[in-house]
Amino acid sequence: MDNSRAPRGLIVELITPLKNGGIDGTGLEELLARTVPHAQALLLAGPRHGEGENMEMALRHELLEKAIDALAGRPLPLLVWVSGRTEAQTRENILSLHKRFGKTRPTGGLFWVDTPLSYHSNRGLPDYYRELLSRVNIPLVLHNDPEVVHTTRTFKRRNIRTAVLKELVQNEGIAGLIFSGSLERAHHYQRACRSRQHFRLYDGDENRFLEHPSMGGVVSIGANLAPGAWEIITQSSIQLHAHQENYPDRLQQIWESGDYLKQMVALSGQMPAAAIKTILCDMEIIETPEMLQSSEMEPDGINALKRLMQDFGDYR
Amino acid sequence: MRQNDLLCLIHPTGICLMLIEQAKEVLQIEAQSILGLMDQIGPTFKEAVSLILNARGRVILTGMGKSGLVARKISATLNSTGTKSFFLHPAEAIHGDLGMATPDDVVLAISNSGHTIEINKILPILKQMKVKIISFTGGLDSPMAHHSDLVIDVGVEREACPLGLAPTASTTAALAMGDALAVVLLKSRHFSKKDFRRFHPGGSLGERLSFKVRDVMVTDNNVPKVYLGTGIPPALNEINDKKLGATLVVDRDQKLAGLISDGDLRRALTRGDDIYREKVEDIMTTTPKTIDENATSAEAIALMELNAITHLVIVDAHEKVIGMVHLHDLLGREGFKINGQ
Repeated sequence: MDNSRAPRGLIVELITPLKNGGIDGTGLEELLARTVPHAQALLLAGPRHGEGENMEMALRHELLEKAIDALAGRPLPLLVWVSGRTEAQTRENILSLHKRFGKTRPTGGLFWVDTPLSYHSNRGLPDYYRELLSRVNIPLVLHNDPEVVHTTRTFKRRNIRTAVLKELVQNEGIAGLIFSGSLERAHHYQRACRSRQHFRLYDGDENRFLEHPSMGGVVSIGANLAPGAWEIITQSSIQLHAHQENYPDRLQQIWESGDYLKQMVALSGQMPAAAIKTILCDMEIIETPEMLQSSEMEPDGINALKRLMQDFGDYR
Repeated sequence: MRQNDLLCLIHPTGICLMLIEQAKEVLQIEAQSILGLMDQIGPTFKEAVSLILNARGRVILTGMGKSGLVARKISATLNSTGTKSFFLHPAEAIHGDLGMATPDDVVLAISNSGHTIEINKILPILKQMKVKIISFTGGLDSPMAHHSDLVIDVGVEREACPLGLAPTASTTAALAMGDALAVVLLKSRHFSKKDFRRFHPGGSLGERLSFKVRDVMVTDNNVPKVYLGTGIPPALNEINDKKLGATLVVDRDQKLAGLISDGDLRRALTRGDDIYREKVEDIMTTTPKTIDENATSAEAIALMELNAITHLVIVDAHEKVIGMVHLHDLLGREGFKINGQ
């Protein structure tokens, strides 16, 4: 695969296994062993469930380093969320990661993921990326998620403007966009990106992907828990491979897996990373459910999710 | 109350609003998939058109599953619009039907992923046979794309159907691209209304067959007729003037006595008769077939077929001639013509 071309398919937004404030290397290895066979790529330090918003640069370095080690040469693209609270911080993050991993990047390719509107306005965004990407030769995937854009300003936009996106996709250093938002906006973005072949549009919203799948693929939190089912649904939804063989059984399998994932998304949609970590910890995949910042959990919701996974044979 | 029930607000007309929204979403996704194709129309599409226009053979459509159904429809559209085409089932192809393809043909293969196993089995063989291959696919790096001479991107950004249970927007896009190809070919060939009617006799012919004989028969002075005792030359003039390939022979009371057709003249000449000395009653058929004016065109054609004739005479209750009908009048002189002539 061309390493500068963004992957297509299931991108698992990995939770970050922690132990005593550092990365739990063993837990990470176990988690990768569970997810990697089913995924086309991994998103590390994702803003919400990957705890990227609260992660210091040193920890991102450690996470990426340990992930590359754990992959042990397996050609799986890694996406790393790099946004900081300000433009200067983001620039520093990117340049620091680039300095460390620019030459020894993972076999499957490396991509920076940035949520520009969390620290920058639409105005001047194309120029900002032109300048920034001229200094690093690692492709970037944009992240548009209004939920991640924290602002107190009434008129500040939480979404990349379509006209701005149209200009941004002309930059060859930008390889794709992870999108969360309305279907109408998704259509506008699709139109804006058409001029670039192989530009990937990913669904950042699992529910949307299960309803009307984007052909680029999905960024999934749930795949930490149910990677096999997510693989089946992603491959079927974007027709990644031909599945004429065993067709009747396969259709049945798709129905069951799809139903399972819809129930899982309904249960886990609003759940914090802590809930997912608790379940993975109970399954002895990671050692502790440690979080960078403590968050509220609903035990009833976690138990319901465990029961669902047990019924599907995913909880062992 | 379940979550779905809460979301499903009931409109005063009794229609679930959520259901309507879902349907609109599907149409929006499908519409976008077609609009997205406009950017894919470029030099490759133009090359595909000229490849088909210059091909001496036919356009062979192939595809599996839903793409196969789309391929069948495109094939039918091409045939209707002047491009010779047929559908080749990929599974049947590897069991012998590949013999239908010739190096003069062009194959148009359809698969959204481009990974369809059955298609990818036959394409290398077709390539060996020097058949040109055009593919409609969203998988630009797929094996199908690699086997093809021309690849037209019909990829979509989003499918409307959840879980990939059935292709929706992608098949709509392929179908629309097929229509675009067929219409451009039609225009390039200067396909006319007359050509279209030649390939679509069904509608107009069906309509004509329900007509009554009285609606299509020739009457009054347009009926070719001569009186008993007339010589052959005036009868020949009548046949030529009225252009029905025959003339009726009547008595002084306008009652039908016989019919002289081109066939009767040929038979007389073959016998060695001196037709310039003979009278019409010497060579005429004395029992021409008649039909009621209220009979349908279909009944008239059936009677003609049964007796291997092309004319019927319409008489009243007193055997007086009121009209005559030719096979061409029944089928429509200006419209459908046998063998397109």
